[in-house]
Amino acid sequence: MEGLELAAFQIISAVGSARSCYIEAIQKAKLGEFEEADKLIEEGDEVFCEGHHAHTDLLQKEASGESEGLNLLILHAEDQLMSAEAFKIIALEFIDVYKNFKSLKAAIQ
Amino acid sequence: MRKIVLLCAAGMSTSMLVKKMQEEAGKMEYACDIEAFPTSEATKQGAGADIILLGPQVRFAQNKIKQQCPGIPVEPIDMKLYGRMDGKGVLEFAKAHMGD
Repeated sequence: MEGLELAAFQIISAVGSARSCYIEAIQKAKLGEFEEADKLIEEGDEVFCEGHHAHTDLLQKEASGESEGLNLLILHAEDQLMSAEAFKIIALEFIDVYKNFKSLKAAIQ
Repeated sequence: MRKIVLLCAAGMSTSMLVKKMQEEAGKMEYACDIEAFPTSEATKQGAGADIILLGPQVRFAQNKIKQQCPGIPVEPIDMKLYGRMDGKGVLEFAKAHMGD
């Protein structure tokens, strides 16, 4: 597999895993398992970094005039990256909401 | 003949992996049917599969897909194997899971 294609799959794989972690974190928070949720956010951040590095390498190559052109696959990879980034923000907000929800419920009871 | 179904968000990146897995299956002379679909078609396309493999970006849907396809093993693909588009590695993982 060529350089650009390989980079695209590295990005999709890493940020895709991160996105899964962030969504799983929301699922854990829904069950009231907040420690697990925090762990998943951390795990997501770690793999997101891997994908981010692969993306940064591509950007640097392009800036130094070594651009390999564009294809649909690399656009798809960037799309996944943006989605993961957005999901982290949403996951953190949801975890907060579920925490508040839990303490409110406890207060009522 | 074994039926292996791969699921990802749009079925786009995974179809590339399917090609690599088919090549490896050919080399190993392992008779199997490998196809990729989006997760939205899980119920329809997962029926009758021997194993369902999930792309890293849809790993979070594992429980839901298990419910949609009862009795069929649903396993996420290792991130490193997926990132390298390692058709051989993923095929071996699937085979090991099916006990082949």
